Amino acid sequence: MIEVQNLCRNYGAVKAVQDLTLCVPGGELFCFLGPNGAGKTTTLKILTGLLKPTSGSAKINGIDIQDEPVRAKKLIGYIPDMPFMYERLTTSEFFEFMGLLYNVPGDKISRSLDELFSLFGLLEQRATLVKELSHGMKQRLIYACTFLHDPEILFIDEPLIGLDPYTIRLIKDLLVSKARAGMTIFLTTHILALAEDIADRIGIIHKGRLAALGSLKELLDQNPGTKTLEDIFLRLTKE
Amino acid sequence: MNTSPVASALALKSRRQFANTWRILREQSRFKVWFVTFFAILCETGLLLLFLDAFKFLDTMGGVGIMIIDRLFALFFFGTGLMLVTSGIVTSYATIYRSDEIPFMITRPFDISEIVSYKFLESTWLSSWAFSFIIIPFIGAYAWHENTTVLLAFWTFLFSIPFLVICSGLGTIVTMLFVRWFPGVRFMKVCGVILLVALGAAAYGLSREAYNFSTEFQMNLSRLIPGLNLASCALLPSWCVSEGIMAMSHHEWFRGLMLWGVVLSTAMMIHVTIQWIGELTFYEGWQRIIGSGGFQRRAPLLFPQLDRGLAVLPGDIRALIMKDIRTFLRDPMQWSQVLIFFGLLGLYFVNLRSFHYQTLPDNWRNTIAFLNVFSVSAVMCSLSSRFVYPQLSLEGQGFWIIGLSPVTMKRVLLTKFMLALCGMLVISVGLMLLSCGMLKAAPITMIMAVLVACAMSFAVSGLSTGLGTIFIDLSQRNPVAIVSGFGGTLNLVLSLAFMLGAILPFSLVFHFHTVHRFSHSQLLHGLLISGTWLLVITAAATIIPLWLGLRYLARKEF
Repeated sequence: MIEVQNLCRNYGAVKAVQDLTLCVPGGELFCFLGPNGAGKTTTLKILTGLLKPTSGSAKINGIDIQDEPVRAKKLIGYIPDMPFMYERLTTSEFFEFMGLLYNVPGDKISRSLDELFSLFGLLEQRATLVKELSHGMKQRLIYACTFLHDPEILFIDEPLIGLDPYTIRLIKDLLVSKARAGMTIFLTTHILALAEDIADRIGIIHKGRLAALGSLKELLDQNPGTKTLEDIFLRLTKE
Repeated sequence: MNTSPVASALALKSRRQFANTWRILREQSRFKVWFVTFFAILCETGLLLLFLDAFKFLDTMGGVGIMIIDRLFALFFFGTGLMLVTSGIVTSYATIYRSDEIPFMITRPFDISEIVSYKFLESTWLSSWAFSFIIIPFIGAYAWHENTTVLLAFWTFLFSIPFLVICSGLGTIVTMLFVRWFPGVRFMKVCGVILLVALGAAAYGLSREAYNFSTEFQMNLSRLIPGLNLASCALLPSWCVSEGIMAMSHHEWFRGLMLWGVVLSTAMMIHVTIQWIGELTFYEGWQRIIGSGGFQRRAPLLFPQLDRGLAVLPGDIRALIMKDIRTFLRDPMQWSQVLIFFGLLGLYFVNLRSFHYQTLPDNWRNTIAFLNVFSVSAVMCSLSSRFVYPQLSLEGQGFWIIGLSPVTMKRVLLTKFMLALCGMLVISVGLMLLSCGMLKAAPITMIMAVLVACAMSFAVSGLSTGLGTIFIDLSQRNPVAIVSGFGGTLNLVLSLAFMLGAILPFSLVFHFHTVHRFSHSQLLHGLLISGTWLLVITAAATIIPLWLGLRYLARKEF
């Protein structure tokens, strides 16, 4: 479960996130939408401990990310839009490294390596250096590594950037099945169709404030005259 | 918390990265690897012979020379220690606060102290290579000169590891404290002020030191080698290291081990202090640094004025120049190194005063004047290798913007060259006039020095811009990594070769005249030939690399 209470983050005079209160229950697939500069990535970075809030709190399964960061981070997985990886490690070495970081037992790492590399089509790249991978392959690798330690909560920033249609389908199905199995997923995206397809609930942030929250049906009911998520998004974020 | 998984994961990562880098190196062009290795060995051998010559020279001074050799160890470690602390400040800032690895680590279950500890060790490793590069020939020359056993190298290694940790640790502590309380641009301003104060204090200390003596011998020794008293302070780790190595090599085991214990425990204390300060300040400091990117940047007064000053230039060239200047001044990594560079140069100028040039015999005055020309020229070579050579590569992922713009590559390259040349001319002529003025060199020597400075500026700007284009690496964002590649090494080698080729003829002509082997007319003749030679090699070193660079750029696809 993710609990956000009165979260604010300022960059000097710029208020990136203002008084955000939100609760994402366990096993929910939550899509966080908003125009450029609305505060999505800032929120995501606060939830993953990358940024410190100016005020307010963020809890991961009841653990405050600022007070007990290490405990909270053991529970989460994070996939950024432009992931940093150790370029001079091979894909399997990077995978092993990530497993060790999260204290995953050696036999599970070996087992999962075959399983997840096969799932993400990385088997042929086992001995390839990360720097030699295309952006899409790097994204696949970070997905494989993130699922290795079975995170309870998964944060994804723009999950489908640089992926081919096959992998997009794979990721979408995987996220849905993981959520059904109890994983809490919080993702930000600009692809409204993705949110329509897979989200249990949708939050729309505009100018740092939460403009709407609910399932697609609830949002359509709250905004009479709209037929699609795109209509709702454009209405709520109109300047 | 159980820290072993994190530590073992990081250890595994470092091992694998090292092995893969080694594999990549082996897969690279053999010529490239051999060239770099050959040049490194050549440099080490040159330094070894230079140190050996210095020891032999000190031997010729009799008792005073032997006393100096004994104290030289303390001075050597004191000097390299200061260098390591300074290097530690810059490297730790880049490694601990500016690394792409930090966001990755922050989102993993690492303890802050583990992150700081790991990055501190990485920073120590990165800042230690220059120390290793200097200490090997120094110890080798000493062992050769004193006929000591190979064990001296082992004792030096044993003492050097904790010494490196102490010096780099002090630099890291300074960085962490300043980043916490003076983030962003203010950090660099404060560093600049500290550097100036430190330079002032060092200059004052050196000038005072000659008068702070208890015996006549000490006074003479201090006058001969400034800084000796300071380096001999028993509270300094550098003193413990030099004394410890000496004690071990003289089989004074107890004293040696005790001093090693002192150095080791100091290193451990510094490490614990870094972890403690890291726990308290790192996250806050890092937040301030990444948060500062979102602030509305106040436009410095310099930029609009500079822009107006460049109004005579065509718009595209002005835009390219202003972009380069802005990018440079807004990158603390870049200009903090300029600051350190000129700080060290300041120390060189402070020491120039202690030569008492006017009181020396003619042949010494000539030698010192040319050594000064060599020194300033060597500074120009390293300055251009570090800052001019990587300038095109630093366009990085944004190079496509220039590629798509209606500006020809020839124009881009010439703009880069002219910008570098202007900077080099101002610095080299300024330095040459200042150093010759301080030495009160003869007018003819001064004219020759300025001429060499101008030629050096043209040649090193041409070489660095041209080779920087031929060996362009748009995927690398770290300028130090760009410079340390094959192209960077080649550029430095060719710049140094040009320097030798440009100055040696003049120095020989002046030397023969000073020792009365050349008459006045022969001197003028020699100067004319040397000047023509300088003109020819300068034109070649400027035009050929630029032409090759342009040809390469025209063919390359981005």
